[in-house]
Amino acid sequence: MSTFFVVQEGPVNALALNKDYSQVAIGGRNVFKVYAVEEDKFREVCNVRGSKHLNQGFSYNDVSWSPTDDHYLATAATNGHVSVWNLTKMGKAMQEQDYQDHKRTVNKVNFHASEPNKLISGSQDGTLRYFDIRLKSAVAIFYSNTESVRDVQFSPHNSYTFAAVSDNGGVQLWDIRKSEKCLQQFTAHSGPVFACDWHPEVTWLATASRDRTIKVWDLTGKPTLERTIHTIGSIGHVKWRPQKKYHISSCAIVIDCSINVWDIRRPYIPYASFNEHRGFPSSVQWKGDPDVFLSCGKDSTLYQHSFNDASRPAAKANPQGSSMNNRGEVLFAKKNSPFHNIASSSSSSLTKATVGLMRKISTTQPIDQFHDASSTLHHITYVNEAVNDESQNFIALAKNYVLHGRSISELCEHNSTVAREFGKPHIAVVWKIIKTMYGEEFMQNSVNSNNTSRDEPQHNNKTANGTMGVLPVENVNNVRDAETETNCKTTNEAQTAQFSGGDEETELEDQVDNSQSYNGFPTYLNIGTGLPKGDFSFGENELDMELDSINSGDCYFLDFHTGYRGFDHVNSDDSEYVLPNEAFPVRHEIKDRSPPPEQFPNHHSPDLSEELEMFQVEEISPTPICVTKIPKKSMWDPSSLVVEALRHHANLGDIQTTACILIVLGDCRRFLTQLDEATQEHWVMGYIEMLTSYRLWNIVTQVIKRSWLPSVYQLNQQSTRINTNCGNCTKALQRVGWLCDKCHSSKYGVCCICNQVVKGIFAWCQGCSHGGHLAHIRQWMGSHKVCPAGCGHLCEYG
Amino acid sequence: MCEAQEINAEHKDLIHDVAYDYYGRRMATCSSDHYVKVWDQNSEGKWILTSSWKAHSGSVWKVTWAHPEFGQVLATSSFDRTAAVWEEIVGELPGPGERGTRHWVRRTNLVDSRTSVTDVKFGPKSQGLQLATCSAEGTIRIYEAPDVMNLSQWTLQHEIQCKLPCSCLTWNPSLNRLHPQMIAVGSDDPNPTNGGKVFVYEYNENSRRWIKLETISSLVDPVHDIAFSPNLGRSYHVLAVGTKDVKILNLTPVDDEQSAQSGVTKLDIETIAQFEDHNSLVWRVCWNLNGNVLCSTGDDGSVRMFKMNAINSWKPVAVLKGDSAQLSHAQYNSISITNGSTSIPFSQTARYIKLGSISQSRETPWH
Repeated sequence: MSTFFVVQEGPVNALALNKDYSQVAIGGRNVFKVYAVEEDKFREVCNVRGSKHLNQGFSYNDVSWSPTDDHYLATAATNGHVSVWNLTKMGKAMQEQDYQDHKRTVNKVNFHASEPNKLISGSQDGTLRYFDIRLKSAVAIFYSNTESVRDVQFSPHNSYTFAAVSDNGGVQLWDIRKSEKCLQQFTAHSGPVFACDWHPEVTWLATASRDRTIKVWDLTGKPTLERTIHTIGSIGHVKWRPQKKYHISSCAIVIDCSINVWDIRRPYIPYASFNEHRGFPSSVQWKGDPDVFLSCGKDSTLYQHSFNDASRPAAKANPQGSSMNNRGEVLFAKKNSPFHNIASSSSSSLTKATVGLMRKISTTQPIDQFHDASSTLHHITYVNEAVNDESQNFIALAKNYVLHGRSISELCEHNSTVAREFGKPHIAVVWKIIKTMYGEEFMQNSVNSNNTSRDEPQHNNKTANGTMGVLPVENVNNVRDAETETNCKTTNEAQTAQFSGGDEETELEDQVDNSQSYNGFPTYLNIGTGLPKGDFSFGENELDMELDSINSGDCYFLDFHTGYRGFDHVNSDDSEYVLPNEAFPVRHEIKDRSPPPEQFPNHHSPDLSEELEMFQVEEISPTPICVTKIPKKSMWDPSSLVVEALRHHANLGDIQTTACILIVLGDCRRFLTQLDEATQEHWVMGYIEMLTSYRLWNIVTQVIKRSWLPSVYQLNQQSTRINTNCGNCTKALQRVGWLCDKCHSSKYGVCCICNQVVKGIFAWCQGCSHGGHLAHIRQWMGSHKVCPAGCGHLCEYG
Repeated sequence: MCEAQEINAEHKDLIHDVAYDYYGRRMATCSSDHYVKVWDQNSEGKWILTSSWKAHSGSVWKVTWAHPEFGQVLATSSFDRTAAVWEEIVGELPGPGERGTRHWVRRTNLVDSRTSVTDVKFGPKSQGLQLATCSAEGTIRIYEAPDVMNLSQWTLQHEIQCKLPCSCLTWNPSLNRLHPQMIAVGSDDPNPTNGGKVFVYEYNENSRRWIKLETISSLVDPVHDIAFSPNLGRSYHVLAVGTKDVKILNLTPVDDEQSAQSGVTKLDIETIAQFEDHNSLVWRVCWNLNGNVLCSTGDDGSVRMFKMNAINSWKPVAVLKGDSAQLSHAQYNSISITNGSTSIPFSQTARYIKLGSISQSRETPWH
């Protein structure tokens, strides 16, 4: 069986098959033909319309082929004529009868299924007429008392019964012998009913309406609604599919050009769709076979359709849905499938077979299980799971990171400890590295390389007035730089020895635990006061081994590995610690930042002269490096590596680390020359996006406020205005506070508890409009239910 | 450990889509039964049905949330050839101590498609309120609400003809202002000879048109789902494709003179991962917030998670197996970047857990 078609001169409104399905008659505007239905084409048998003897200026609404006598056809025309045609005759003689009983358009004509020569028609004039084709006029007239009859169908179950549907949404059941009154009538639809069809086996009647529904009525007793199919467009035609109890085909008159076949047990989605027509199909007739049918349409075509060529909307439909939220939880909806176990139990060695099997299932399953479609929805949550932890960690880190207000070293140190605290040792290391590179010691170096001034008093003055961070850490670092320089070569061996086989991570943690266990931010202030710092300085190759071991662990440090030849780990030994201090005074301090030394006794300037002397003593001593003036270091610029590291984290999805480092770097961002502003903006916006999704509004605001990017900090400056109105005259308040320009009073802005004008948040009851300071009202409402103003209103919600 | 809580959605037909809202606290489901339902999670974590309405006169294929900045707004696409925009309205007069009654009203019905609207997605919020739909006839339509306060007015801005029927679409959510707007569309056309099934389009500011950047010719099998990874800071784009397997592609914009001159991005496309773990058709792919965990579901009924590790390679990290009745869970040890001292996970312990309880444990090789 195949799909084929033939094009007509005009739109086709109806078709009728003869009893052995070998021929088809079609009628429409300018069309009235009979075709023989052959294997792969339609062959024209007779073109009644083409006969020049008949001048027909109207179009046919319906065609019916007598089920008892293969020679007879009946037509219903827009001019109100019902005609009977004898196919054995030629020319004008073909038209055996031409009934002009109906006053208006005839919508439907139907031969009786078993009684020969009997014909019924339904018309726009609201009447049904019963004809005997041997007689010149109607045998019986049925007045439906409706505006128009759209369809009339004999019951296949009871030869006397026929059903008529009409524009008012009603269905009438008539007995052919009783023309005075219908047997039964009921309202089936909320709009005109365009078509009906009796089920060939059970006493069901399907009705189709402009209200975009197809309804199936059980008419065994009192009409009961069996099923309702909601369709896309108004339905103009319905026909049950033979041999398939639950299947019915439908044609829409608007929107949908497809012919749909529905399973009434699954009234939501067509079981099959035939999309061949380019215009709206008008009629469908099954060829006795459940897999083949003919259709005609407004697109002037006559088609034979085969089920093999149907599209299956449900098979194409996505049977699963999934969604993941910001906590890593997953929603998963999937189709319940009886075949499921076959697929899931197959092992990977059976890949090919499984794929084949699945394909087969996906094509056969919709047929067998079509109407049983259902889904289960699962909400998958994690309990003590890494995914969940990550969102918890993100929130914890976001809340505990400090992004501004202190020096870079201090911020890095703090954030490093926070990261460690929440199980992110690698992030902690990143912070430490950032500190090492962009902490004040780095700044020191860069400034030194540009500035030769060594005016110590000036330095102290400037630093005392400094506006930035208030930390001596830089002093220490500064000192250590010098130390590194002198010690690098001399003590290299000793330092290397310290690291022999030691696990860097462990050692670090020990260090942290011993010296600066994290107790919240204030602890940090101790770091600068000379306590061991547990910091890094750059050695030669000491940590390659350690880094290697980490790399092999999770490759996390791969990017750093090439950049940092290794970190050293300064032993927190007191004597070693004091010594570098002596180097301090020779270093120049950057003007704008640095601690007021008076806060930190061990760095007081009174010591400086002494330290200076000691330093000089050491300088004179015959060390391998003999310096009278510390040479400018050739600066190693870590910024490209830092940018790379930031990108790395961003690519990993760890935008938090990237964005926070970027924010903490503050002015040091100017060193990151390879980093364009758009990327910075991207990262900061990314972090804001994440914070927003966790509803961390305060942190979002903080990030926006600290932002150096115009496009970001402007986010907080839009739509910030809230207009308030005077409580008395409801005029908009123009001034700051609650003084009304019209009333010249601010008494309506007075707190009814303390009688002071409220500046700031004014909380009031929407019922009685009394209110006052938020704290006062809250306090009052904590113990009372009535209005504090004494108005008697029950302000508290029941 | 994993817990799968079954939610009785009471949809009368297949559920085709579920979607978390931006904050992950609400969920919308849509089904072939023409209904859309909205659920809220209460303080105990239980899902409470708050709204349910007949949204379309055909199967509802997709449901998607707009950014909450625009209000509580949903868009749906349906077999009935329309896409609709819905807004939640909270009743004017909440009773004392009660939340206002809520209901969803249809703000607009987009009726331009002549065939089933297979997907609908809101554009990135930086571009205002934009909506893209794609249809079975192969047309992508971009709508815009010029006034974000008026959700009932949408203008059809662009119509892009795609040669094959479209099944799914995704916006590139990149927050980088240098990344032009980008859309990727997948086709479920079953014929491999029709060529690539994924198309990438970009909005060109100069010509004010959407132009096709690429047809990804390596993907010739029907594509069922497609999703750009959230891009919070990457310079390249990551695209997940659900077809007969899970594929992850990197789309890297290439800076060269030609693209700089024409203003058209040139993409370097590389398939960086391909997972056949489902052994069957893959229906859905979705991303976590960071874009480093991909979740896929397939005809084998399992949910699989893939994670990007520190050297930019993707590895399976979890499987949630399900049978028709319930989901069980097998969890590989995730590649732990949270514990810096662990060694390479050369062998993994898989735990099989049914609804939270351990049924058995055994060693399974890493694959």
